[in-house]
Amino acid sequence: MTTYAERPTISDLPPLPAKKGRAFVKWVTSTDHKTIGYLYLMTSFAWFLIGGVLALLLRSELARPGMQFLSAEQYNQIFTMHGTIMLLMFATPLFVGFANVIMPLQIGAADVAFPRLNMLSYWLYLFGGLMAFAGFLSPGGAASFGWTVYVPLSNAQYSPGIGADLWLLGLAVSGIGTILGGVNFITTIFTMRAPGMTMFRMSIFSWNVLLTSILVLLAFPPLAAALLGLESDRIYGTHLFDPANGGAMLFQHLFWFFGHPEVYILALPFFGIATEILPVFSRKPIFGYKGLIAATIAIAALSVSVWAHHMYASGQVLLPFFSFMTFLIGVPTGVKFFNWIGTMWRGSVTFETPMLFVMGFLVTFLFGGLTGIILASPPLDFAVSASYFVVAHFHYVLFGTVVFAMYAGFYFWWPKMTGVMLNETLGKIHFWTLFIGFHLTFLIQHWLGIKGFPRRYADYLSTDGFTVMNMVSTVGSFLLALSMIPYFINVWISRNKPKVTTDDPWGYGSSLEWATSCPPPRHNFTSMPRIRSERPAFDLHYPHMAQKAKH
Amino acid sequence: MPRKRALRSILTPMSLKALKFLRGLLLLSPAFLLTGCSKVSGLGFEEGLSSVNDQSLSLWQGAWIAAGVVGVFTLILILWPAFFHRLKKDSPEFPKQTQYNIPVEVLYTIIPFIIVAVLFYFTAQKQTVITAKTDTYKHEITVEGIQWSWQFGYPAAGPDAVVTGTPAQPPVLYVPLGERVRYTITANDVIHGFWIPAFMIQIQNIPGVTNYLEFTANKLGDFPGRCNILCGRNHSQMLFTVRVVTPAQYQAYLETIKGNGA
Amino acid sequence: MKTGWVLFIGLAVFYAILSVIYWQVGGEAVGITAIALSAGLALIIGFYLWFTDRRSGGVLPEDNQQGEIADSAGELGFFSPHSWWPLPVGLSIAAIGTGIIIGWWLVLMAVGTLVISIIGLVLEYERPSASVH
Repeated sequence: MTTYAERPTISDLPPLPAKKGRAFVKWVTSTDHKTIGYLYLMTSFAWFLIGGVLALLLRSELARPGMQFLSAEQYNQIFTMHGTIMLLMFATPLFVGFANVIMPLQIGAADVAFPRLNMLSYWLYLFGGLMAFAGFLSPGGAASFGWTVYVPLSNAQYSPGIGADLWLLGLAVSGIGTILGGVNFITTIFTMRAPGMTMFRMSIFSWNVLLTSILVLLAFPPLAAALLGLESDRIYGTHLFDPANGGAMLFQHLFWFFGHPEVYILALPFFGIATEILPVFSRKPIFGYKGLIAATIAIAALSVSVWAHHMYASGQVLLPFFSFMTFLIGVPTGVKFFNWIGTMWRGSVTFETPMLFVMGFLVTFLFGGLTGIILASPPLDFAVSASYFVVAHFHYVLFGTVVFAMYAGFYFWWPKMTGVMLNETLGKIHFWTLFIGFHLTFLIQHWLGIKGFPRRYADYLSTDGFTVMNMVSTVGSFLLALSMIPYFINVWISRNKPKVTTDDPWGYGSSLEWATSCPPPRHNFTSMPRIRSERPAFDLHYPHMAQKAKH
Repeated sequence: MPRKRALRSILTPMSLKALKFLRGLLLLSPAFLLTGCSKVSGLGFEEGLSSVNDQSLSLWQGAWIAAGVVGVFTLILILWPAFFHRLKKDSPEFPKQTQYNIPVEVLYTIIPFIIVAVLFYFTAQKQTVITAKTDTYKHEITVEGIQWSWQFGYPAAGPDAVVTGTPAQPPVLYVPLGERVRYTITANDVIHGFWIPAFMIQIQNIPGVTNYLEFTANKLGDFPGRCNILCGRNHSQMLFTVRVVTPAQYQAYLETIKGNGA
Repeated sequence: MKTGWVLFIGLAVFYAILSVIYWQVGGEAVGITAIALSAGLALIIGFYLWFTDRRSGGVLPEDNQQGEIADSAGELGFFSPHSWWPLPVGLSIAAIGTGIIIGWWLVLMAVGTLVISIIGLVLEYERPSASVH
């Protein structure tokens, strides 16, 4: 049975009778990038909540000196899983989810290049994540060596117990899925764009998906090598990472060669989301489209040259080379800020919820990026590395980018995905509670680190002077958690709202997904507008504004 | 300028004044940050504590000032459209659809380059000094990280002059005032982190690797030290105290531990 | 499509130069190798894209600045409507991973199911009449 994706399509078949279990089968056998994308989004959001609960456990324990309800070993397991879940089971798959739902629509494709491989990637993600988490059910507990897995702490001698093995293999399985996803996205972008959708008319989000996928191809294989090599040492007694052979440094290099591109894998797609939203609510095109692409390519290129800035304190890396490259990569990242500002500048800005979240992202990521420039300098890194200053820095850049842009994307694309709009008032309450809760939690952690509180400490002395700061941070974390409530209420009460009747409920959408229905049909488009610029939907809806094709 | 005219036309003279005031305030706000400092504070670190502070503290202050200026400037630029470029009741449906401005784009690429170039210049200079291995050091101390405490050895007092701590009894690291010490940093089990926050310095103890660190402590007193690389269950208990004493007291201390044994 | 191969070959050249620079300034073996291999990966992909682009002759509709939607009217290609096969492939891979920890018996079984499910996936649409659904 061949499926034609022809335009236009008229379905005159009656709908199949609803049987129990039919919906389950439909989801589990799906090859539709939108459905697979929703699976990714929902699964990664579930992991976000689980990782968040783990964080609340950590913050509760740290609020006062003395161990209150966790043992030191449990604490180590919890922050290890918190980091692993947030980075590899929430944020990375969230990118895959958004890319799946949105990118094919934006380039005018009927689906991705390899739909069944797409679903396979999802299963590998799901099963791999469950394997790693299953460590909590093993007698020795989950992995407890930190998401950075340094050797020899993570070898069989110092971390016995299958929790660690499940973690390593779970991530390897899940990593295969991510690599296959990268292959799928690159192929789709290169081979399935609609007529007239040249590379330099493609949306910035899709460009960022392309460049992120390239980084995935470069970064995940070294991770797989490191994890499988470690697993080999653990169960077969090999000596790949034997400290006597320089194994400790070998592992750090392999891990961070993955680890640094990974943070750009986490950042770039969400920069892309922000870049999609700003023009719509400023009623102006993106400022400096080509410069933005150039900056993102520069980041992709440079990101394989900076990894050892995570290793300055090892005393074994070339400080001048890495500090130079790290300072250098800060420039294109900073340039993007001016693209975003330039988009709003002299526009007609309105602050619906998506735009509010983008502002939250801009402000938060600005601060996180600046502390990153501080850390780029080895002398300054020596003062605060592996302290709460770094914890604050990376939560600012990661949470600021991934979570704020995630919510921005959810509110923005909710009508496109579900056909209904989310409530604006609840959205604003959600935003402000999250913003205040986040900054209350993490701003003070900069000071905590400067005053000497190390990372991954389960406890501190009452004489250390860390108590008040930790208290404040814990209160903030609970406020942050509570900010979810308006969001859940919003999703629940909106589910039966009247459906959106236009293609573009926000009014000023630029990219192609706003030229099809909310939600789109099975193969995305029953008709497609002519594409002559990077704003095809805008040109369609406002022909008097359409410019002659410049690129 | 057409925009100013549009602004004037929708505002009453009173609200226009208020807007102008707000705009002025926004522009002046960076200056208010500076009024709090009669002398530039160490921003968390103390001057003159060690030879490392002598190098790093000025860079720390300078970097924060640069970050502060850039940050406030960029923050104002981000918030400006939020306050002053909003959709108004009588705005035309679309503002000018500016897509690029080459001079501005070139400028905002070059200026960050210059800023990081300056930061890199001072960074390179100072890290060379901080990480230098000389032969002008006066004392040698070995620092071995173990699960979960520290072992400090003083070779000048013989091979048995080793002090081993426990989580319950964190060890004290005696350091002579004003005299350069070379620390030999090792570990035989897992990676540990030798961190003295007040001295703005840290280095990892890595099994299979011998690291060296040299610096001079320049103020008497006790300073906390902590392991900051996750090393297993009791990572949080791997504390130590740095006790900076006069050279005479240091020699006296060496005498007392001569017969210690590991 | 020119942009594709230019991007990858450009990255390959950049990484190759970078690995030489890192080597010359005293970098260590892991980094030099990793950056050089990254250049290799970008090169393979870039070369394939270049060579395909050279062979494709003429401008594809999507790269045509004046491309009309009608240029790609008609059958776009085959899109699998739905499929059960990704699930057993995924389960088999996960089972191999778990089997490495639990025991060889699981690995052997899972390799078996993996081979069967990959064959199933690949041949799913090669039969004259597809299965029900």
